Amino acid sequence: MNESPSDRDVSFFKPHGTAMQGVVRVIKFILLGWLVAIVGFQFFAYFLEVSYSELLLTDLVFFNLPIQFWLSGQLLPLWFIILCVLFNIWMDRHTVQATEGSLRFRIKSVKGEDE
Amino acid sequence: MAYGMIQLVPLAIVAGIFILFIISGLRNRSNQSTEYGFSGSYTGRVGIGAGIASNWMSAASFLGLAGVFYLKGYFAMAYVVGWTGGYVLLLVLMATQIRRFGKFTAPDFVGFRYESESARTIAALISITISVIYCVAQFRGIALLVSWLFGIDYIPAVVVGTSLVVSHIVVSGAMGVARNQKLQYFVLIITFILPLMLLTRKLGYFWVLPQFGYGAAIGELQQQFGFNWSEPFATTSLFEWFALCFTLMFGTAGLPHVLSRFYMVPGIRDARWGVVWGLFFIALIYWSAPAYGVLARLFEARNGLALNTGGADAADMIVLSGAGLGGAPLWAVGLLAAGGMSAAFSTSTGLLMSGSASFSFDIYPRLIRKNASERDKVYAAKAFFLLLAALVMVLAFRPWGMIAEIAAFAFALAGNTIFPAFLLGIWWPRANATGVICGMLTGLAISLAPLLIGTAFPLVLQLFPLTSSAFIGAPLVMIIMILTSLMTAPPSAAIRHFVSRDVHECPEN
Repeated sequence: MNESPSDRDVSFFKPHGTAMQGVVRVIKFILLGWLVAIVGFQFFAYFLEVSYSELLLTDLVFFNLPIQFWLSGQLLPLWFIILCVLFNIWMDRHTVQATEGSLRFRIKSVKGEDE
Repeated sequence: MAYGMIQLVPLAIVAGIFILFIISGLRNRSNQSTEYGFSGSYTGRVGIGAGIASNWMSAASFLGLAGVFYLKGYFAMAYVVGWTGGYVLLLVLMATQIRRFGKFTAPDFVGFRYESESARTIAALISITISVIYCVAQFRGIALLVSWLFGIDYIPAVVVGTSLVVSHIVVSGAMGVARNQKLQYFVLIITFILPLMLLTRKLGYFWVLPQFGYGAAIGELQQQFGFNWSEPFATTSLFEWFALCFTLMFGTAGLPHVLSRFYMVPGIRDARWGVVWGLFFIALIYWSAPAYGVLARLFEARNGLALNTGGADAADMIVLSGAGLGGAPLWAVGLLAAGGMSAAFSTSTGLLMSGSASFSFDIYPRLIRKNASERDKVYAAKAFFLLLAALVMVLAFRPWGMIAEIAAFAFALAGNTIFPAFLLGIWWPRANATGVICGMLTGLAISLAPLLIGTAFPLVLQLFPLTSSAFIGAPLVMIIMILTSLMTAPPSAAIRHFVSRDVHECPEN
């Protein structure tokens, strides 16, 4: 059966092959952690402000800073760094595994033992 | 802070820092290559990170951010989150893939991926426009510093500042001075953190980590002067905060001079880990910047001064004036001036050079002189460089906002145009030339709409604020790109095959 070019196209929402599916899966996890933290912290501060009173936000002090300053100004940039580190560790392992798989295939093929 | 007189000590420190850069650059010149204005020496991932950070740090980060904190309080956190969170997008969605395309500039990428000279030309024009807007923010910072250092008015200071930038580029180019980006980052971080430590120590706060120590100033402002920081969304809405924050993130992932960093790194793993180090170095500055805004308010309150009597100019200079009010020694204020000047100079130098290179490679031989020789292109680049500098100077005479706001407009334009073009170009092989051309033009229209029709149609201003238009704009542009691409012929099988097999390492079908 002939396959049209559009059938072969990959995309972020239609990854193809084990490697790309793995990469896209980890990207989705990272982006989810990124989005939830950004949106979540702001809604947290917003609801504290509108539902209770500014006094609560004044009293909630963390590391010497009002909680909303600490969450957005200190923790979020740190969280972004952690997300980047996690992504890189995963990508490094993924690359090593892919390289080892590729080498095994080549060695077998030279000996003529592969399928 | 004293105006109207020459600041000899700070001036000497600024001159000393620049002489240090020139000497270091002359020593390194034999080890470097210069291409497209993005040269740099790379020694390991930390060095790559320092390069990314020093390339990123501009007057907006060094001077502008503290000014927004000083004026708008918690709203300025959108800048901190936006300018750091964008690197996550850049790393996971683009950094690895961009390198696999093997193209050196944003127009190169667009031209190759979308197989269209028209798309390439539009991308080049947009890149130049982004450079000009971003440069206006730098020139404003330079002019404010020159105005203080030499004791002259703002408009003459813009002219003097422009002359200094142009002379710096010409002299550096003639002498073959290379940029030592690690040294530059080291200078930036020292000149920013050291005066802050001095100020917090003088106040009796926790000065070892002034990034946390300034919290005591917030408490003091509240208890003794009745200044309330605990209503984060009292004057702005959640939508405004998110719109600015996501616009800056999309813009970070779409700024041509940021994207270009990944082409110049030797390996993909180094590029990825370089982003982490770069983000850490950038975060060091952003963890500290709010402190200057808060401390300046405290010093003003203690001195019985009203908030921001000097307007946007005073707010943009709050890092220096706050340090002066707080009793920091003149040499510490000089360090801040040197850091701000160095950040603004390096960014404007890179942007002017990349803008003129883009003109001479992407526009001049394609639109103006078809059979231009290499020599013609070099002359065109030099002439366009002077033209760009003059244009930026004129725009800087009457800037449309504070330093950070002008920079945010450049981010909005990048987020509405280059970011969708790259994102869909990498992740959706079906995206075609018609789609990207329609998308980039729509993005351009969305970015300029608040300036052109914002007064007549207030809804435009609400949905697409000048500094924050990419929050709705970028998704809208992507939808337009997808619909237009689906309605027109797909790109060639070769490029779709390239994206699937070479960029995403998908197996053959």
